[in-house]
Amino acid sequence: MAASGSGGSRADNGYGGQQQPRRRKGPGALATAYLVIYNVVMTAGWLVIAVGLVRAYLAKGSYHSLYYSIEKPLKFFQTGALLEILHCAFGIVPSSVVLTAFQVMSRVFLTWAVTHSVKEVQTEDSVLLFVVSWTITEIIRYSFYTFSLLNHLPYLIKWARYTLFIILYPMGVTGELLTIYAALPFVRQSGLYSISLPNKYNFSFDYYTFLILVMISYIPLFPQLYFHMLHQRRKVLSHPDEHKKSE
Amino acid sequence: FVSYQVEILDWKTKEQLCFLDKVEPNATIREIRLMFHKLYPRWYPARQSIKLDPKGKSLRDEEILQHLPVGTTATLYFKDLGPQIGWTTVFLIEYTGPLFIYFLFYFRMPFVYGLDERFTASPHPVVNLACICHSFHYIKRLIETIFVHRFSHGTMPLRNIVKNCFYYWGFAAWLAYYINHPLYTPPSYGKKQINFAVIMFLLCEAGNFSINVALSDLRRDGSKTRKIPYPTKNPFTWLFFFVSCPNYTYEVGTWISFTIMTQCVPVGLFTLLCFIQMTIWAKDKHYTYLREFKDYPSLRMPIVPFLL
Repeated sequence: MAASGSGGSRADNGYGGQQQPRRRKGPGALATAYLVIYNVVMTAGWLVIAVGLVRAYLAKGSYHSLYYSIEKPLKFFQTGALLEILHCAFGIVPSSVVLTAFQVMSRVFLTWAVTHSVKEVQTEDSVLLFVVSWTITEIIRYSFYTFSLLNHLPYLIKWARYTLFIILYPMGVTGELLTIYAALPFVRQSGLYSISLPNKYNFSFDYYTFLILVMISYIPLFPQLYFHMLHQRRKVLSHPDEHKKSE
Repeated sequence: FVSYQVEILDWKTKEQLCFLDKVEPNATIREIRLMFHKLYPRWYPARQSIKLDPKGKSLRDEEILQHLPVGTTATLYFKDLGPQIGWTTVFLIEYTGPLFIYFLFYFRMPFVYGLDERFTASPHPVVNLACICHSFHYIKRLIETIFVHRFSHGTMPLRNIVKNCFYYWGFAAWLAYYINHPLYTPPSYGKKQINFAVIMFLLCEAGNFSINVALSDLRRDGSKTRKIPYPTKNPFTWLFFFVSCPNYTYEVGTWISFTIMTQCVPVGLFTLLCFIQMTIWAKDKHYTYLREFKDYPSLRMPIVPFLL
């Protein structure tokens, strides 16, 4: 579920499209300015990653092992998304802290605890699958927020945000699951991030089992998020005049 | 003498669910709930949320019709709270689970650590001590639930119990697994650490019990209204000078002592989660006290003296 954009729009969960105007205290002018800058920077960052992928593909002539050409910006900008948790916590973005935290953490987990930590999977094609999905999704998502904050949201961006996920989301999830699956034997072999008894803290942790549990958790979570986005799509795209505030 | 008419509408659909004629002005909401229940037997009073406003708070049983801001034809809204379960029942289930689950691990049932280790005993005295303390803690809680606590709300939604049981029972199993494991390592500072922990444990249990009794005494007359708790002659209650919810303070203390006694990370994690949960509850309670009582003691903090 890390593949798609931040789980749709919680901003209107209870109120649908009929939220009373100004009932929620929106971000002030300073916060709005900051958010615009943040979203512009993130859009630019993911564009850099997109361009990097294309250039590497053209230079190499194949789509294998493109991870290395965008490794640093991917880590930087994906990790930067942690700020979004703070945005919710400080109330300048009307989303649930818990939901946002969950989504960002799952992306960060995949970036660092799987792809970065298990070097052997970095050459897998599944990595490209989720990186491409994330890249397209994030470029659209962050530009969506940027335009929303500036009150000039082109319908195309709105349409893209609520339509492309139909393909990108499953694509990303597939890439993520295949990558975790590919990492399993190496984790087992090296005992990565695992601690066994006996030890003075009386604690044990098996990263291999943990990864399997993570994979299993996709089963209940992915359909829920996917159908939530589909539901949002029906609501948002059937009211072309309704202006969705940023999240 | 004017008799009232009461109509009750569904909070969402606004459809009229019932119309009560000739209601006494001094009728209580409890009586109205009983009348509603007669018409709709499946909605027993504990499941009924009766309110003045579709999105508002539920009215209490003790509220009197003529004191409410309604005309002689009152419109009330009904919301089904779902199947309810009594607090006493909830606590009994929540606390009996960990008690017995811990024993499964202590006695090393075959399915826990494998057939080779079944029914063996740990060579470490602290493991026996931990079992005694853990059991003591939950037996004490069960006794308090039956004989001491007086609950302000009678019930909670049934689905909460599944969630709560998963949490309490699950954690009990997790920490019992490590403490009673054949490869368990006793605390690094040995007897000193264990003895310190035991003393702290007993003090906190005594403290928590004292507070529960003191709180229960506030409602000895059977009333359901809130009163400010004050320190009594019992020194353990003197924590009331500094905190609104010393029962939570002592509870966290108990779990800290258990963590020190067992030197076990899962216990520490459980303690941390308890602390977070109880801080939330304590803050809630504290601010409710502040709102209701103008003369509330200003020195008090919610759960940690001077700090939190």
